[in-house]
Amino acid sequence: MSFGMFYHRKDNENYLVFIVWDDTVDISLFISLSVNGFAMGMIYALIAMGLILLIRAIGVLNFAQGDLLMFGAFISSALILDLELPLYAMVPVALISFALIGVIFMFSVYWPLRDASYPVAHIISTMGASIALREIATLIWGSIPRSMPPLMRDSETGRAAVLRIADINLQWQFVLTIIVGAVLIILVFILFEKLYAGRMMQAAAQDKYAAELLGIPTILTTAATYIIVVILASVGGYMVSPIFMVSNTLGVLQLRAFAGVVIGGFGNIKGAIIGSLFVGVVESFGSLHFSQYRDAIVFTVLIVVLLFRPQGFFGEKVADKA
Amino acid sequence: MRINKLNIKISNIVILIAAVSFVLVAPRITAGYFMMVVNMGLIFAIAAFGVCVMLGIGGQLSFATVSFMGFGAYFVANLTSGRMGIIMGSIPVIILMIIATTVVAFSIGLVLFKLKSAYFTFATIGLVQVSWSFYLSYVPLFGGPDGISRIATFDIFGFRAEDFHQWFYILVVFVLIVVFLVERIKCTQLGRSLAAIRDNEIAAQTLGINIYMTKVIAFTIAGVLAAFAGALYAMHSQFVSADMFTFERTTTYIIMAMLGGVNNTKGVLVGSMLVTLLPEWLRGMQQYLQLIFGVSVILLMVFMPMGLAGLVTSVGKRLKRKLHVNKKLATSTGMEAKR
Repeated sequence: MSFGMFYHRKDNENYLVFIVWDDTVDISLFISLSVNGFAMGMIYALIAMGLILLIRAIGVLNFAQGDLLMFGAFISSALILDLELPLYAMVPVALISFALIGVIFMFSVYWPLRDASYPVAHIISTMGASIALREIATLIWGSIPRSMPPLMRDSETGRAAVLRIADINLQWQFVLTIIVGAVLIILVFILFEKLYAGRMMQAAAQDKYAAELLGIPTILTTAATYIIVVILASVGGYMVSPIFMVSNTLGVLQLRAFAGVVIGGFGNIKGAIIGSLFVGVVESFGSLHFSQYRDAIVFTVLIVVLLFRPQGFFGEKVADKA
Repeated sequence: MRINKLNIKISNIVILIAAVSFVLVAPRITAGYFMMVVNMGLIFAIAAFGVCVMLGIGGQLSFATVSFMGFGAYFVANLTSGRMGIIMGSIPVIILMIIATTVVAFSIGLVLFKLKSAYFTFATIGLVQVSWSFYLSYVPLFGGPDGISRIATFDIFGFRAEDFHQWFYILVVFVLIVVFLVERIKCTQLGRSLAAIRDNEIAAQTLGINIYMTKVIAFTIAGVLAAFAGALYAMHSQFVSADMFTFERTTTYIIMAMLGGVNNTKGVLVGSMLVTLLPEWLRGMQQYLQLIFGVSVILLMVFMPMGLAGLVTSVGKRLKRKLHVNKKLATSTGMEAKR
């Protein structure tokens, strides 16, 4: 077995290949690792997008984002395992309850603090919310991890379905995660770029006072932002729940989403998505041979990126505000 | 409300009396286990004082507390448990640890403070995750998931701390030293520069403060305090493992500091004691404890963002105003005419 970094020559250009290369690594493993990486990256991207939306709309760094994902996973597990709803009934019920959670979250964690003079207070209160959400989930559903059925099942064996292309085996769950994540991201972009409601939300995010003068109900746009954020995170939770188990520790995923946000460029949605995908792929390849150090790998990359390009890959250098 | 000749605040006298009686009475009425919890509260308070220096005085949100706690704890653990073939006394090992942490924290600070505000915070999250995965997995230095056990307890000049009651007195001394240091820092040029940076970074820069170095030094002090707490923790429990140094733990220290009042040393001490002791007092409601904790953190931020100390100050001000108004009404109305 040999591993290390080396250059791979293709199209007369050198590419730095940073994966472990030995007899077991071949093109099919490479592809399935990439797919796994992109799928996890999609989950991080869903969390990261919500983070950026909140930062842009109300300037709050949300440390409960991962726990919202965990809560979404628990709610979908309750709908599927306890109520045994079929998928077409489960989706609308789940979306409505996610939206409700978004509104409740906003009015309990953000609204009472909106005039706080101490900026760290917002961050600390989301930390409190993170603990509270985790404990509510534990109280309702217990602390034993629940296993969720995958979205696509093999009709014969009843296990997770596998997509076979040539001799490459891909888990359908990963492929579906990528598809669902991409659809959600495109929907959010359509909302903000094309629709009137999205323009209103952007206006309210850019200058709340001016938006209010124009007659935009900023309370509604803030609520809408929270609803979108919770739906994004919770759908991520639902998609990730068959891969991991549904447990109250799912919240730790948010840390890697933070890494993605910073790597991509703070305050920039496109950058956050690409950064999160990058984190997912780095993690996936890193876990091939150093599985217990994959957090270390991801966050070392984060620190290195921060040192050489503090504004992230896609961020623009912002001058200090006086 | 001062006793004019001595120029001492009455509130300070009350706190002093409360503290002295606590130190005298607490060990007599508490059994071994509860004493241990009190000791833990004191140890965590030392780490929370690091948060106080960074966040309270300097206004920089750093999550790196547990990284340095782990550094101090494992440093002491390796040199006093005989894993490395060395068994050192407590005082030399603590001095070595402080020197090593100063170097490490200073160089990490030099690197991380190239970044500004939120980026810096994120980088410290990265630091916590990196250090935690190494503490958890790297067996030669950190013992892997099993941690390190059989760490020698604290000894000084032939005296060994055998039980939790002796530890209590040792920790009280250390906490007093740290409180004194933090209070001193506030009065020095460093402390005033930090406060200026907290209130307005650009204004501080125009006053000729070297923002970068000031922040790095504050980060180093916070790191050393955290590492010292970690070292005491290792000697006190004679065992360390990585689950003390997770990201969740680091938020606890920030909450401890915020609960008491992040810029107030007495407040931080009360805050860390409360966060450590409440779970023991509320044992009956074990199940709901964390939930109550989380919800009360939110409520705390809503109703008193400056913590218990802030509450005391604002209530005190209100009382004083009432007293003053009464006095004014009674003595003079001439002031109004002059104005």
